[in-house]
Amino acid sequence: MRVLLRDLRLRDLGLLATFAAVIAATSPAVRGQAAAPARDDIVNALSKFESGPELDIPALKPKIIERSRSRGKNEPEASKRPPIVPELREFPTFNVPIQFDVDTPIILPESYETMGRIADAFVNAPLLPFSFLIVGHSDTNGKAREANVILSQRRADAVREVLVNTFKISAKRIQSLGVGEEQFIDQAKPASPVNLQIQILTVAKVPDQQPAAPPAAATTAAKKSSKKKK
Amino acid sequence: MVRGRKILLILALAAPSLAHAADPIMTFSDAAALLAKSCGAEISANCRGVNLDANRLKECLSRNQDVASSQCRANFLVPFDQIQKRIAARVTVAGACRLEIIKLCHGSTKETSKSVPCLLTAKGVSRNCTQATIDAGYR
Repeated sequence: MRVLLRDLRLRDLGLLATFAAVIAATSPAVRGQAAAPARDDIVNALSKFESGPELDIPALKPKIIERSRSRGKNEPEASKRPPIVPELREFPTFNVPIQFDVDTPIILPESYETMGRIADAFVNAPLLPFSFLIVGHSDTNGKAREANVILSQRRADAVREVLVNTFKISAKRIQSLGVGEEQFIDQAKPASPVNLQIQILTVAKVPDQQPAAPPAAATTAAKKSSKKKK
Repeated sequence: MVRGRKILLILALAAPSLAHAADPIMTFSDAAALLAKSCGAEISANCRGVNLDANRLKECLSRNQDVASSQCRANFLVPFDQIQKRIAARVTVAGACRLEIIKLCHGSTKETSKSVPCLLTAKGVSRNCTQATIDAGYR
C-alpha cells in the first residue's frame, strides 16, 4: 500500500512537472503578451513583391519632420490628416508589435523573440533577393507631433540596428523611417495602440548588376576592403 | 526502486534540455527567446537602456553577474554563442557547397546567396551542403 502511495506521489510529481513545463512554454500568452509571429508568416507576406514606386528615404525624413511642426489653425484632426507617405501602402507589409521601454528606442526582452523571428525571416531563402524598409509609427498620445516623429524614427533605427549588428543582416538590405503620427496604421483610430506597431515593408529587389552581397559575404568583403585601406 | 524512479524522473525532466543542447544550431528567435527567458529580469533591472546588442548587452550582463540569478549566470552566454554560430554558418555554406554552387548552380562562392534558391532545389546536393543551408537558416 505504501509503495502504491509513493508511486502515486511520484506520478503526481511527474504530472506536475509536465504541467509546469506546459505553462512555462505558454507563459507569454498567459501574461497577455502577443506571441511572436511565425517566421513563415513574415516570409509569405513579404515575398510577394513584384515592383513598387521608388522611395527616397533621406528626402522623406525632413518632409515628415516639417509637417509635424505645422501648427496652423486649419489643421485637420488626426483621423483626417492625409498620410504623409501614401506610397508606403503600395508595398507588401508585415505589421509587428514590438515592446519598447517608455519614451526610448530600447527593445524590451519580451520582444527579443520577435526580433529573432524577423532576422530568421530575412535570412530565409525566399526573402534573400529583397530589401526592406522598417517603418516606425505613433499613436496620438498628447505628445508633440514632432517628438513622436523623432521617437518613431529612433525606434525604427533601433530595430534596423539590431537586425544589422546583432543578427548581421546586410546593412544594404534595410532602411528605416519614422513617420510618427503623420501616418497611421489604422487611420480611423489614431489613438489605438495598433498604431504603435512596427511595419516591415518589402521595397525593392536587390539589383542584379551590383548586388548587395549576402550578409556573410558582405562582412568578409567589408573586412577585405578595410584591410586594403589600411 | 524508489531511488531508481527518482533518477528516471530527473532524467525525464532533464531530457528536453539535453535534446536541446544536442540541436545543431538554434534559430535566431530561439536564441533570443532563451536570452529573454534566462536573463529578462536582469536586463530590465541592470541593463536598462542597453539594446539587444551582442557586445553591449553581453558586457552589461557579465558586469552584473554578482547580482544575477543562477539561471541567468548559467545561460547568458549560450544565446550569444548560438547567434554567432548561426551567422558563421552562412560563411560555411560557401565552403560546404563549393562544388554544388559551381557545378550544379553555375554560380560563384563569392555570391553564395544568389545560388541559394538553386541549392535548395537542385538534385545531387551533398549532405554536408544541405546541413549547411539548414544551419544558415536558408531553409
